[in-house]
Amino acid sequence: MVEGRKIIIGIDGVPFRILEELSDKGVMPNFKELRKDGVFKKMKSSLPEISSVSWSSIITGKNPGEHGIYGFTDIIPGTYTMSFPNYLNLKEKPFWVKQKEKKHVIINVPSTYPAKEINGFIVSGFVSLELKKAIQPQSYVHLINDMDYQIDVDSKKAHKSISMFLKNLFKVHEKRIELYRKLWTKINWNNFMLVFTGSDRLEHFLIDSYDNPDHEFHNSFLEYFKKIDDAIGEVNEKMNENDSLLMLSDHGMEKINYKINLNSYLEKEGFIKLGDKPQKRYNNLKKETKAFVLDPSRVYFNKTGRYPNGYVKKEDEENLAEELINSFKEFNINGKKIIQKIYKKEEIYHGKHLNLAPDLVLLPNSGYSLSGSIGKENIFEKPGKIIGMHTQPDAFLYVKKNENKNIVPKYPNVEDFNLILKKAT
Amino acid sequence: MEMLNAEKTCWNCPAAILKGNVDFRSCGQSKEEIKKKMEENPDFQVVIECARRPELGHFEPSITFEQCPEWQETKYGLMLKNMRVMILGIDGYLGWALALKLCKIGCKVSGVDNYKRRDMVMEKGSQTAIPIPRMTDRIHAAKEHGYHINFRRIDIRKEINKLREFLQEVKPEAIVHYAEVPSAPYSMVDANHALDVQDNNTLGTLAILFAMKDIVPESSMIKLGTMGEYGAPLTGRPLFEGMFPADAILQWDNREWSLGGELTPRNPGSFYHVGKVQDTYNVYEACRYWWLRSYDVMQGVIYGVHTDEISKDKRLRTRFDFDEWFGTVINRFVAQAVLGIPLTIYGRGEQIRGFIGLDDAMQCMVRLICSPPEPGQYDVVNQISAVYRIADLAEAVAEVGEEFDLKVRIKRVENPRVEPDRHPMEVVSTKLEGEFGLKAKVRLKDEIRRMFELLTKPEIKKRLEEKKHVVDPRTRWNGDKKEMDVIEEYMPGTKKFESKLLQQIDRVDGHGKELSGIEEKREKKKA
Repeated sequence: MVEGRKIIIGIDGVPFRILEELSDKGVMPNFKELRKDGVFKKMKSSLPEISSVSWSSIITGKNPGEHGIYGFTDIIPGTYTMSFPNYLNLKEKPFWVKQKEKKHVIINVPSTYPAKEINGFIVSGFVSLELKKAIQPQSYVHLINDMDYQIDVDSKKAHKSISMFLKNLFKVHEKRIELYRKLWTKINWNNFMLVFTGSDRLEHFLIDSYDNPDHEFHNSFLEYFKKIDDAIGEVNEKMNENDSLLMLSDHGMEKINYKINLNSYLEKEGFIKLGDKPQKRYNNLKKETKAFVLDPSRVYFNKTGRYPNGYVKKEDEENLAEELINSFKEFNINGKKIIQKIYKKEEIYHGKHLNLAPDLVLLPNSGYSLSGSIGKENIFEKPGKIIGMHTQPDAFLYVKKNENKNIVPKYPNVEDFNLILKKAT
Repeated sequence: MEMLNAEKTCWNCPAAILKGNVDFRSCGQSKEEIKKKMEENPDFQVVIECARRPELGHFEPSITFEQCPEWQETKYGLMLKNMRVMILGIDGYLGWALALKLCKIGCKVSGVDNYKRRDMVMEKGSQTAIPIPRMTDRIHAAKEHGYHINFRRIDIRKEINKLREFLQEVKPEAIVHYAEVPSAPYSMVDANHALDVQDNNTLGTLAILFAMKDIVPESSMIKLGTMGEYGAPLTGRPLFEGMFPADAILQWDNREWSLGGELTPRNPGSFYHVGKVQDTYNVYEACRYWWLRSYDVMQGVIYGVHTDEISKDKRLRTRFDFDEWFGTVINRFVAQAVLGIPLTIYGRGEQIRGFIGLDDAMQCMVRLICSPPEPGQYDVVNQISAVYRIADLAEAVAEVGEEFDLKVRIKRVENPRVEPDRHPMEVVSTKLEGEFGLKAKVRLKDEIRRMFELLTKPEIKKRLEEKKHVVDPRTRWNGDKKEMDVIEEYMPGTKKFESKLLQQIDRVDGHGKELSGIEEKREKKKA
């Protein structure tokens, strides 16, 4: 067996607060125990605070300006066609590629689809379209197919019935556990990374049940976290003395008060002009459009030379930025400011792929879920089935052993994780 | 230059990989449903990948042809760079001419044939008037001109696995389906011939559809149908261009037509035509079930010997049949004129048909290949450049024949077929010009002149002479095989016909006028 192995457990979308409270209350006793001997603190997520960007930073240790992933969506240059960047678009190497001499088991890390060759094993996390393409080496396809393994919970079920959704959620979790158990012994690994993503899905639909003990699904919510805690305890038991354990989430989560359709706001303010095509997509933007938003909060200037109906000339960009910043600063609902902070791309991004970056990124105030949907009638919408939104400042990080304290920065962010992993003992 | 397909998107592009990304083909999903969802819900996303630009990852199928670097301007519209086109029936009259044209504009051409046409013509004791080399020599000759063709000898009906292997190897982005027996009289010879025609054509097409579903579901099929599928309705119902539901009421020229409860108006005139109608249904259903895509080309009667590519070199010529089974009417008239035998018209000779010159037909096909249908789209195009009355065509051939010192006579014989020989005819044919930008160029008399020039060459005339006995019709629809009784023989320009052409399609500048002058000439001669 390899000495000094490293185990990483990811819990997608879990805010520091929930883990702290659940361990304090005894719902997660194993994690409570671990907290006694380790560093547990808040970690800043990426900007924007979404999984694809955040996990890409976590596994590469790089800024989006370097790894090139700015969101779940992008616009293909020279078009208004929305693309969905995946692992093939990641321009920096994740740690398992940098350390080729070591063996890795990587289970369910988001945005690693389609899976590429690896020394060890990988099954990608969401968004994966075909299970077969999410697995490397391909010799494992049979094993995983036979287990009836499912990458992601079917969120469509939640729109039909929460009970049906929960049933699927627990099934997917069980299968994930079954897979990790099989691979723990089957491969003689150095690094083992296991990510639970059901947490994000659960919170998106049921975050209000967490704070409300009378909620129909309160117990199911806690039950899921108990199961995660069971897994944490099991892994901890299996670890050797010299093994390291690191845990983290990619962003936090809180309840939505309002969904904000930023493109509808820009349309109202005259920054967007829409054509009359029946399909409400970006290729319906008319030439007079100055800027538009991609999910959730990325503002792109409609630049000449970059887009077919480009309007904004290089020399006008600075003025447009000021105009938009002023407009967003004033953007409010019943006198309450919606935007907490507006970043220009140079303030938050650096690297070779800065040219792909959004020109502005917005960070909302609490409770305002920003959206890049286009052609929506209303600027403000009450949340529908999805009631949880991502938050940026309160992902969590845990590193076992107090002697690791000095390797964790005072205010860590997701880009620091790679270095922490390297130094962890 | 106007690029009519500039606004088409990945949705139409064969490089867009739907399989594994969009579950269109799952049971219960219909194209209409998906389209509606896309229009109504901005957050509903359909995602694809691009076989040619894998670096794009997953994206919406909305890049326009104009925006995509894989689509390049040609005189036929935007065309996929080095587009892979497979021609089934590449050794035939049309297949070969199209192969060379596609090579010339930069397509990667592959082709399949089992030489059935050569065998059938030989079986009936005839031969192509214009000699064509064997396939290996054709391919070598084409190569000398820079045209590279990837050929396999395959029977699409009987060697399905070979066809599948070849599809797998080539992964064509468009498939032109010419691999059918193109003859009504041949299908009426006897039971064996009827079975052979329908077996090869209808079941062969079905085999191709299954292979496409499994191997190249994103490719489009440009399928050769025939205007003969419609027949010649005595009610005067226009020949609409499309596939319509049973309860459709269609409008044309400020008039309304109900289709009388049929899925589409079809009135085939031989077992060959019946097979073509069955193909239409099979292709239509395959598009519906599996989201295949197809243009069903209702081609008018074809004529001619010229395209720039086949005229370049003797060895590149396409075949020219003139026998009663495989010769088309204008081609046969010219052969009869050269042979000094009267041009045979059936019954009154007032049948009206849609026609198209070889080069124009090839242009149509290229334009259709350039602008693929959407997934699941089955569409019909009526591919004609003019409508003529048969007797008028005989006059036109006689007139041009005079320039070659040929004294042409015309002979009306009993009609061997079961068809009206005086009927209204109105063809709706707007798509090729309007949607695909067809610019018809072949002028009837110019092409007849070209045919005379070629067929009067001693070495070709000799080949006509050798098979003179298979020109006049003997295959009757009632099964008899005997010469037709002659109703009358007359000199061109001496006969007056009662029927009037309802419609004078005039695609080529001055084209219609060529024949409208015939009436005046007749009047003059009479006087």
